[in-house]
Amino acid sequence: MEKIKQNPFVKKVGFNRIVLCCVLLLMYGLFCALTGGSFAGMNRIMSALNYAYFLGFLSLGVTFVIATGQIDFSIGPVMFCCALISGYTLTTHGISMPVAFLISILVGFAFGLFNGYLVAYWSVPSFITSMASMNIAKGLASVYTKTQSVSWPQAADPDNGWFRNLVRYNGVPVGLVILLVVAVVCAIILNKTRIGRYILCLGSNKEAVRLSGVDVKKWEMLAFIICGVLVGMGAIFYVSAYTTVQPGYGDQYNNEAIAGCVMGGTSMAGGLASISGTIIGVFIIALLQEGILALGFTKDYQLIITGVIVIVAVFSDVLARRRKN
Amino acid sequence: MGEVILEMKGIDKSFPGVHALDHVDLEIRKGEVLALMGENGAGKSTLMKVLTGIYTKDSGTITYEGKEVEFHSAREAQDNGVIIVHQELNMLGHLTVAQNIFIGREFKKGIKIDDKKMNEEAQKLFDRMNVDIDPRETMSKLTVGKQQMCEIAKAISHDAKIIIFDEPSAALTETEIEQLFKIIRDLRSQGMGIVYISHRMDEIKVITDRVTVMRDGTYVGTLITKDSTKDDIINMMVGRVIYEDPKEKNMTPPGAPVVLKVDHLNAGKMVQDVSFELHKGEILGFSGLMGAGRTETARALFGADPIDSGDIYINGKKVTIKSPQDAVKYGIGYLSEDRKRYGIVVQKSVAENTTMATLEKFMSGPFIDKKKENKIAQEYVEQLATKTPGTDQLVVNLSGGNQQKVVIAKWLTRDCDILIFDEPTRGIDVGAKNEIYKLMNQLAAEGKAIIMISSEMTEILRMSDRIVVMCEGKKTGELDISEATQENIMNMATREIE
Amino acid sequence: MANNTTKKAGSNKSFIDRMGGQKFIVLLVVIALFIFFCAMSPNFRKYTTFINILDFSYYIVLMAIGVAFPLMTGGVDLSIGTGLVCYSLVGGYLIVHKGMPTIVGILAAIILGMLIGVLNGVLVAIMDLPAFLATLCTCMITRGLGSIIVGGFGISWPAAAAPGGWFRSIFKIQSGGQNIPIGFLWVILLVVVMTFVLNHTRIGRYTLAIGSNKEATRLSGVNVRFYHIAAYVICGFFAGLASIAYSAIFATVQPGSGAGFELEAIGGAIIGGVSMTGGVGSITGTLFGVFVICLLKTGLPFIGLTANWQQIITGFVLIAAVLVDILKRKAGKE
Repeated sequence: MEKIKQNPFVKKVGFNRIVLCCVLLLMYGLFCALTGGSFAGMNRIMSALNYAYFLGFLSLGVTFVIATGQIDFSIGPVMFCCALISGYTLTTHGISMPVAFLISILVGFAFGLFNGYLVAYWSVPSFITSMASMNIAKGLASVYTKTQSVSWPQAADPDNGWFRNLVRYNGVPVGLVILLVVAVVCAIILNKTRIGRYILCLGSNKEAVRLSGVDVKKWEMLAFIICGVLVGMGAIFYVSAYTTVQPGYGDQYNNEAIAGCVMGGTSMAGGLASISGTIIGVFIIALLQEGILALGFTKDYQLIITGVIVIVAVFSDVLARRRKN
Repeated sequence: MGEVILEMKGIDKSFPGVHALDHVDLEIRKGEVLALMGENGAGKSTLMKVLTGIYTKDSGTITYEGKEVEFHSAREAQDNGVIIVHQELNMLGHLTVAQNIFIGREFKKGIKIDDKKMNEEAQKLFDRMNVDIDPRETMSKLTVGKQQMCEIAKAISHDAKIIIFDEPSAALTETEIEQLFKIIRDLRSQGMGIVYISHRMDEIKVITDRVTVMRDGTYVGTLITKDSTKDDIINMMVGRVIYEDPKEKNMTPPGAPVVLKVDHLNAGKMVQDVSFELHKGEILGFSGLMGAGRTETARALFGADPIDSGDIYINGKKVTIKSPQDAVKYGIGYLSEDRKRYGIVVQKSVAENTTMATLEKFMSGPFIDKKKENKIAQEYVEQLATKTPGTDQLVVNLSGGNQQKVVIAKWLTRDCDILIFDEPTRGIDVGAKNEIYKLMNQLAAEGKAIIMISSEMTEILRMSDRIVVMCEGKKTGELDISEATQENIMNMATREIE
Repeated sequence: MANNTTKKAGSNKSFIDRMGGQKFIVLLVVIALFIFFCAMSPNFRKYTTFINILDFSYYIVLMAIGVAFPLMTGGVDLSIGTGLVCYSLVGGYLIVHKGMPTIVGILAAIILGMLIGVLNGVLVAIMDLPAFLATLCTCMITRGLGSIIVGGFGISWPAAAAPGGWFRSIFKIQSGGQNIPIGFLWVILLVVVMTFVLNHTRIGRYTLAIGSNKEATRLSGVNVRFYHIAAYVICGFFAGLASIAYSAIFATVQPGSGAGFELEAIGGAIIGGVSMTGGVGSITGTLFGVFVICLLKTGLPFIGLTANWQQIITGFVLIAAVLVDILKRKAGKE
C-alpha cells in the first residue's frame, strides 16, 4: 500500500483522486451490470451529466467556503432563489436572456456577501448564517414569484431557446466543457492567486495569517462571495437542463454538494482543498443519483446514501487529524 | 515543626529532549507553609504535576502519610486529599459558585439535585474561610480574586490534607491577598500542609515557613524563611555558572537614532504605563518572570491586542496601530513565542510561509509568480542556513529551529526594521540556538532594531545591549548590559510593588 | 450571613434582571406583537385565530424545548424538522397500514426520535464530527427514510371521529361547539418539567456544564460523553413528541416536508436566551421565543403579507438574536 502511494505517478496525481476515479468506474460498471446493460446507453450518461453540471457549480463554490474552515449549506435553496428570481423577471418582464443570467449571478453574489459579511466581520457562526439564508432564500423566492413555479423558455422558443444549448448542442455536452473550464479557473484561483493562497492559509491557521498583517476578514468574506457567484451560475445550468423551478425546494442539493466536496479531499477543518477532487466527487454523486433511479429506486435512497457518505468522509478526516496529533 | 506528611525523593522526569526533573527531593510538613521557588522553567510546575498525578514520574518515590503512593490522575490525587489550586482557573463560568464547587459530586434528594444543601454547604465553607461570597452568584460575575477563593473552598471541601497554590496572588488585589493569607494561616493552624509557589519575595517572607529552591530541574536547597534574606534566596535561584560569554558592553553604535519610542503604553491589566526607546542596530532585552506582561506589551505594540492609551513613535513620527496590518505597514515584525499557533501555517510550504506577509510583491498580474516566490524563499533558506529539503517542503516537517528561521525569513522579505523576537529559542536545541543568536547579532549589525523577550537569564545577558525588566505589567527597571548581573535583574523582576 | 449576601446581590440587579432578564423582554415582545396584530386586524381578534396560533405552536414549542439541550451543550440539532415528519410518517404507517393501535404508533414515533437522537449524540460526542454537519446528514437520512417507509405517499393519522383518533383530543377537545386548546396545558406542564430537569437534575446541570467548559467538566470526573449524548436523546425524544402534535393538527403528513421547521425551533430557543455557544439557557425563555415566531407566522397574513414573509423575517430575526448574543458576550468580556 505504502509502495503504491510512493510511486511518482500516484504521488503526482494524488492517491485519493485515483481511488475516487476507480470508485467512479466501478460504480458505472456495477450499474451497467445491475441494469442488464441499459445503463450503458448515452441517455443515462447525458442525464447524469445534466445533474453534474449545476451540482458541480455548487460543489466548487462550497469548496472555497469549506477551505476557510466554514460551511455554507444554504447553497441549494439559494440556487433555486437565483433561478426563480431571474426566471420570473425574464418571463414576466421580458428582459433579455443575458440580463436574466446577470440577475441570477447577482442574487447569488448578494447571498454570498450577506453570509460572508456576517461570518467574517461579526463572527456569526456559519451554520447560523446558512440556516438563515436558506430560509430567506426560500421565502424571498416564494414572495417574488407569488409561490408559482417558473418555467424557463423551451428549446423551441425562437428568441430565448438558445440558452438550452448551454448544456447540450447537437448532442455535444457543452455543459461539461463549461464546467471543466470553470473548474480550471477555480483551480487557478485557489492555487495561483492571492485569494486562494490566503483562503487556504487562513483556513489552516487564521491567527498566524492575521499576525502576518493580512486582512483576514476581507479574504474570508471573499470566499463566501466566490461561492455565491458560482451558485448563481449553477442556477443557470439547472434551468438549462430542467427548465422548471419550484419555490420552497433545493435543500437536498446542499448535502450532495458538500458530499462531492468532502469526498474529493477537502477537509472540513479548513486549509486543504482540491478542485479536481471536488469535480470527481460531483461525478460520483451524479452517477449515483442516475444509477439509483435506473435501478428503480426513488430519490430518497440518494438522500440517505449521501448522508452516510458525508459522515464517513468527514469522520475519516477527523481520524486522520487525530492520528497526526 | 509538624511531622512530615509527604515526601518526594529522587523524582526524575524527562520529556523528549528535555530533562525536566533531575532527582528532585521535596518535603511537605503538617501545619506548615512551604514556598517553592525558582526561575521560569526551573521545574516547579512539572514537580507539582508529578505530585498530583497529571504526569507520571520516570523514577523516584512519593511517600504520603507513611505509605508509598502514585496517583494516576488529578481526580485520584484529589480523592486522597492532595489538591492543586491552579493559576488558570478551571471554572464553569455559567454555573453558580456552589454548583462549581460541587460539580461531579452533587448532593441529591431523590432525582433532584439538592441545590439548597449545596448552597448551605458552600456558605459554611465560606463562613469558615471568613469570606463574603454568595454561593448563588454566577461564577463569571465574580472578580478573579473571588473565583480563586471558590477554588480554595472547593479544595477544602475535598477534605484536603495538602493544598498547592500555584502563583495564587498574581491576579489578586492587596485586600484580596491579605484575605488569602488569612485563609492560608487558618488552614495551616488546622494542620494542613501547604505548598506556595510564587515569585513575590515579600509574600514569601510574610506567609511561608520554609523555602525550597529549584534551578534547572534540580533541587538546590531549603532555607528557613525567617533566618534568610532575599539575597540568599536569589543567589540560590540564579547561582548557575554561565558557560556562554555574556556580552561585555553595549554594541549599539553611539548616536544611533531612536527608531521606536513607546510612551506610557497601557493595554489591559498586563501592560501598565510602559515606556521605552529602541535604537537602530540595538538588541533590547525584555526580562522578567512569567506573567510579567512582556508578551502582552509586544502584542499591544504590534496591534494584535487593543491599546487602551499611550503613544507610539516610529522614526520620530507618531503612529496609530490598530491591527497587525498597521504594524506591518510601519515595518514591525513579530515572532511569537508560540510559533505553531501564531507564527507559521504548519500545513503550508516553506515558500508559502516566507511570502505570507509580502504576497503582493510576488504577483504578476493576478497570479502569484511561484518562480520568483521560490527563488526568494530559496535565497533566504541559504542565507539563514535553514535545513529543509526544498522550499516546497511543508513547515510541519521542519525542526523548531528551522521553523523559527522560516518566520524570520517572512519578516526579512518584508524589510521590517523593527523585529520583536518573543522567546526566540524556546523549544530549539542548543546547536540551532547558537545559529539563531548569530543571526540576530548579524541583523542588528545590519541596522535592524530588535526587541528580544526572553525568560532565560543567560540569553538576556548574552544577547542584549540594554535590558528592560518588567514585573506584573509594569516596567521595573532598565539597565545597560555593562551594569547588568543576574542578581540585579532578578531583584527588579521580583520587586515588591508599592 | 447567608441572607445578607443574597439580599445584597439581589439589590444590585436591574428591574429587568430581577424579572428574568431576556425572558422578560421576550415576553414583552410577545405581548406587543399580539396587541399589534389585534389592533391591525379585526379578524385576528377572533377566538378561532387564537386557537389556530396555539395549534400551530405546539410542535414548534416541543421541538424548541428539545433542541435547547444540544444548543446548551454548544452544539445544534438540524435533524429535528425532517425528523419530526419521518417519525410521524412511521407512526402513522404502523397505525394506518399495519392496523396497529394508535398508542403503538405514538410510542414508535417517540422511540424512533430517541434512536436518531442516540445516533446524533454518538456522531457528535464520540466521533467528534461538527454538530451541524452530523445533524445535517441525519436530517437528510431521516427525510429519505420516512419517504421510503411510506412509499412516497402522504399518511393521514386517524381523524378525530374515527376509531383510534383519540390522540387528537390530547391537544384539542370540543365542548359545547367550542374548541378548547388543552394542548397548551400539556405544553405548560412539559415546560415546568423540563425547567426542573434543566435546573435541578444532573442531566440539566451537566448539559450546561459541558456547554460552559467541556474539559473542566471532564476533569471534575463527570462522564461527559454520556451526558453529551443524553442532550441529543432528549432532543430526539421531544422531536418524537412534536411529531405526535404535528400529526394531531394536520390531516395529512407529506413525506419530503419538514425542512425549515428546525429553524423556527432553533430561532425560538435563541430568541428566548439560549446561548448558541452553550452554557446558558432557559425553557420558559424558549417558550416565549417560539411564540414570537408563531405570532409572526400566524399574524402576517392578517396584515396582508403572505406566510412566505414569515420565512424571510424568521431568518433575519435569527441573525438578530445571534448578534444580540454575540454583543452580550463582548460586553461581558469587557
